[in-house]
Amino acid sequence: MEFQWFLEKFEAFVGVNPWTMIFAWLNLLILYLFLKKLAFNPLKNMIDSRQKEIDDMYSEAEEAQKSAEVLKAEYEEKISHATEESEEILKSAVRRAQLKEEEILRTADAEAARTLERAEEQIELEKKRALGEIKDEVSSMAIGIASAVIERDVDEDKHRELIDDFINNMGNEQ
Amino acid sequence: MKKKKNLLGLSIFLALLLIIGVLSALVLVFYDYIPVSDDDGALISPEGSRIILGIPALQEISKNIPLLELGNPITQTTLSILAVTLLLIILAALLTKNLSKRPGKVQVVLEKLISMLYGLVEDTMGKHNVKFAPYIGTLFLSSIVGTLIGMTQIIPSVTKDLSVTLAWALVTTALVWYNNIKNFGFKAWLKGFTEPIVVMTPMNIVSEIAQPISLAFRHFGNVAGGGVLTALIYSALAGLSGLIFGWIPGFIGTIPFFQVGIPAFLSIYFDLFSGFVQALVFSLLTMVYVGGACPPPEEIPEERRAKLEKKAN
Repeated sequence: MEFQWFLEKFEAFVGVNPWTMIFAWLNLLILYLFLKKLAFNPLKNMIDSRQKEIDDMYSEAEEAQKSAEVLKAEYEEKISHATEESEEILKSAVRRAQLKEEEILRTADAEAARTLERAEEQIELEKKRALGEIKDEVSSMAIGIASAVIERDVDEDKHRELIDDFINNMGNEQ
Repeated sequence: MKKKKNLLGLSIFLALLLIIGVLSALVLVFYDYIPVSDDDGALISPEGSRIILGIPALQEISKNIPLLELGNPITQTTLSILAVTLLLIILAALLTKNLSKRPGKVQVVLEKLISMLYGLVEDTMGKHNVKFAPYIGTLFLSSIVGTLIGMTQIIPSVTKDLSVTLAWALVTTALVWYNNIKNFGFKAWLKGFTEPIVVMTPMNIVSEIAQPISLAFRHFGNVAGGGVLTALIYSALAGLSGLIFGWIPGFIGTIPFFQVGIPAFLSIYFDLFSGFVQALVFSLLTMVYVGGACPPPEEIPEERRAKLEKKAN
């Protein structure tokens, strides 16, 4: 009796009940499915997707920085090019302006020289004409005076020739 | 949309549980097992002490049903398991209701725990075995909640019943065997018992059988032993109170003053610490055993791997 009682108590304490085991299995299975669907998978997916997003963001930022650096280098090159170009343009403009200036000066000089030349020619011509006129005047005056002095007709042609020679000699001597 | 689906599933599950409960109660009434009393006319529960919400009647019933003589179909433990399952499912549903990319405080803690779990599984079993993490997490949660639920003093611990821990340990063994046969082939698995020498075969078989038994008894023994010790200390403290305060006449003398406070410190060790350690040990050992049966793909023999890949496709 005592032993029977002990056995019963022992069984109640360490006994294995197949029904309880089946319930334990079923509950473990149900719990597994539910927790997996409700908690583990969504949370894990959330963590993973956030991780992925962060990774993507970082790689995108890196790419953006790289392309920005490339662009920057390009622009810097362009800008330095532009300075060179502007300098070039300026230089060529200055050169052209100088050329133009010289040309203008040269043409102006030539013009002035030509005008001067022409003026001198004119003066020479006027002088020659005036001289001729003076010569004529003087010779006719001389003939008149001479005819008045001699009171007779002088062979005008012969005398004119004589006077002209005289005047010419005079001019030459001068 | 997805939230609705989850709630729908949960409510269907709860409804099913309700239906099962009502049906079983009807069956029990039909068999005229309610209520049962012993000779003194008092309701008996197997342990005599812990009574769940008027369920001792149910327990007594179950004791008397000769269901293939397998034992009581409904025990205290069964109800505790149900309570743990429901608690965990409801908690999971409530806590993961509003997941978002920008986590709140609760979600941060949950994510930390989940990543700790996945990290532990990855460290112990290898990267290729991360698929086992949900099962390990479930096992750990059932174990720790099943142990700690005993602290309510209303619902007894799940793990102080050997049936439960043995069931869990057998799942581990089943996983180990299944994965061994899947990865190495039936013949290689059998041949593994004769290694390193044929003489070792009986030893190997014994160790294979001892594995689930030791797993089950370790966990069960810690929790049940803690419970027994706590009960002993309670009665000892009651005796001590009686010795010291017994002379006070009337009602006051019968109050076991020493039962206040002192057991709380013991509970920290026997319930909290032991429960946590046992849950961790059980999960860790499961990880180690199953991980041993699931080596990384490059360690599986060549022809076996080809077969597995063919099957997977």
